[in-house]
Amino acid sequence: MQKAERLLDLAAFLLRAAEPISWREIREQFREDYGGSEEAAVRKFERDKAELLELGIPVRWVSQDDDHAGGYTIDRDDFYLPNLDLPPEDLALLYVAGSAALAQGAFPYARDLAHALNKLSFAARAPGASEGAGMAAHTLSRGEEAPSAGDGASPLAARLEELSAAVMTRKRIHVAYEGAERGARTERDVDPYGLYQSGGAWFLVGLCHLRGAIRTFHLGRIVELTVNSAMPRSPDFALAPGFDLGEFATREVWEYEIHAPRRCTVKLDSPVSPEARASFGPRAVLTEEEGGVRVELKVTNGEGLVRHVLSLGERARIVSPVTLRNRGRAILSGLAKRGS
Amino acid sequence: MSERKQGPRRARPASKVDPRERLRRVLFLVPYAVRHPGIPVQDLARKCGVSEKVLLEDLDFLLGVGCPPFAPDDFLDLYVDGDRVHVALHQSFSRPPRFTESEAAALAAAVRALGGEGRDRAIRALRDAVPRDRRKRFDELSGRIYAGSPPARDSVLGRLQRAIAERREVAIRYYTATRDAEGERVVRPWTLAQRFGHWYLYGYDLARGKPLPFRLDRIRDCSLSDARFEAPAAAQLDRARLFSESSAAPIQIRLGPRAAAWAKARPGVVFVERGTDGTAIVEVAGANEDWATRFALSFGGEAEVLGPEAARRHFVHAVERALARW
Repeated sequence: MQKAERLLDLAAFLLRAAEPISWREIREQFREDYGGSEEAAVRKFERDKAELLELGIPVRWVSQDDDHAGGYTIDRDDFYLPNLDLPPEDLALLYVAGSAALAQGAFPYARDLAHALNKLSFAARAPGASEGAGMAAHTLSRGEEAPSAGDGASPLAARLEELSAAVMTRKRIHVAYEGAERGARTERDVDPYGLYQSGGAWFLVGLCHLRGAIRTFHLGRIVELTVNSAMPRSPDFALAPGFDLGEFATREVWEYEIHAPRRCTVKLDSPVSPEARASFGPRAVLTEEEGGVRVELKVTNGEGLVRHVLSLGERARIVSPVTLRNRGRAILSGLAKRGS
Repeated sequence: MSERKQGPRRARPASKVDPRERLRRVLFLVPYAVRHPGIPVQDLARKCGVSEKVLLEDLDFLLGVGCPPFAPDDFLDLYVDGDRVHVALHQSFSRPPRFTESEAAALAAAVRALGGEGRDRAIRALRDAVPRDRRKRFDELSGRIYAGSPPARDSVLGRLQRAIAERREVAIRYYTATRDAEGERVVRPWTLAQRFGHWYLYGYDLARGKPLPFRLDRIRDCSLSDARFEAPAAAQLDRARLFSESSAAPIQIRLGPRAAAWAKARPGVVFVERGTDGTAIVEVAGANEDWATRFALSFGGEAEVLGPEAARRHFVHAVERALARW
């Protein structure tokens, strides 16, 4: 019997049974599948159980007690997707957030997310469900039979999917990486810890074996990627204790560790847009003052701050230190010369 | 063993299918067909994201699934009658299985990135819908995907989500960058979506008489009215998602070597020319002049807007005015 068929047969068998089913009975009923030596049969059954669990089907061993002989069971309560008892606005949040994530075209575990949106339609009805279903169907159809050239997953989406699997199963990866500052290509082994999105782009955070430290990698600059395929169910590493993805994900560009920390002041002239205020992140100190807002920051990448302040447009400027202010002025003056 | 287990099924050249994907699909499609008796083959195939051919193969595959002792009534029984799918025996597959930890964690990451007052409740409900033994794995995996920080205050997002759910009009206090002013707009909120790393509310602007995108981080406040509206048609929603500026010519930007390396990583950027010295010319579609100027300036002097002419002028004037202030 083929594996897919066997797994479903096994699930149907355990779901229907009123009592736990002994290993002997399972072997008896699936004689062809779990034949051979006891040891080999047990190993095969354990693999099947693991695969069922990966599909969301928990097979449990129940010890013998006064009422039952010991055996395997699928607890129906722990199998069937429950109704999500949430108010309509929370359901809308689930559908809208899920659809928007899929609409980006690249999102970690995108196929899983599409399956989740499909399942959600059983657990809850709410506005947004049909849009969610449409996005789910679109995502699932990628890579199905002979997709047209423009319809398949983008290289970024495919890479993100591959990395998501490596993050989940904790498998080591080998990457060829093109650095942004020096443009040099390096090869390294990385233990993939997590994935984050910033400014619409995806980054991998992991322990870099070349540098011996946790590093961030832009997915667009990973030129080649190989995932260790040996022993796919055994993790290759444990995460460094105290690792917090949020610390990396919320780090602003002027907080990259390039030089010793310096206090910097930025002035935003009135009227100040809400996104200009928000763009300095949670660690900036903002003070309202005459004519606008003063922003105080601890900066370890001055060049990054200059670029950010320039990107806010004409009503944002660095006040101190003078070196950074001069740097910004020099950039603008160079551009003005070229423009005239 | 039953003949059905061994005998040949309907002869049809098999498609290449990933067995794991097939399992996930059938665990959804059987209960879905139970819930929607007589669903057309085409609709069920679309719902599952596969061709009708693959769906019919799935149905063939399911004919062989059952449970011991494999008597005729022990098998799943799905059949197609006049192009419609019916389920005679579902063998307990009447509802899909709980979320796997990666399904729930991906959805939770999307929910965290959008935010809103219901965020924690929604994530708790997702966690509770994962099998008990896998909830720790869900917690662990959730901590390893971060899809962005919420684009506005929870209260604003919460009200918008409620308005979308209840299809109620909203009055928003909105900052317009091009006019540099705040004003009130009355909008029928259709949905929220992301583009170029920013979140937008898509909706029908009553005063302007057309659907428009509104950046969420420019919505200062939001209140719900009692006026209700009909759900937008899928085509309307698709058109709105394209943004109003998308019909304009794309903006061209010249990049120095370092900026070109950085730009590879920016969303929505298309390389149209690459110089041997590492410089490049890129195009961005659907962007306005103000956005293009800021985008070019974010490369710290290594980028300039080339065209169209109006966008070029906007850039040059912005640089001159900024220089005067610095």
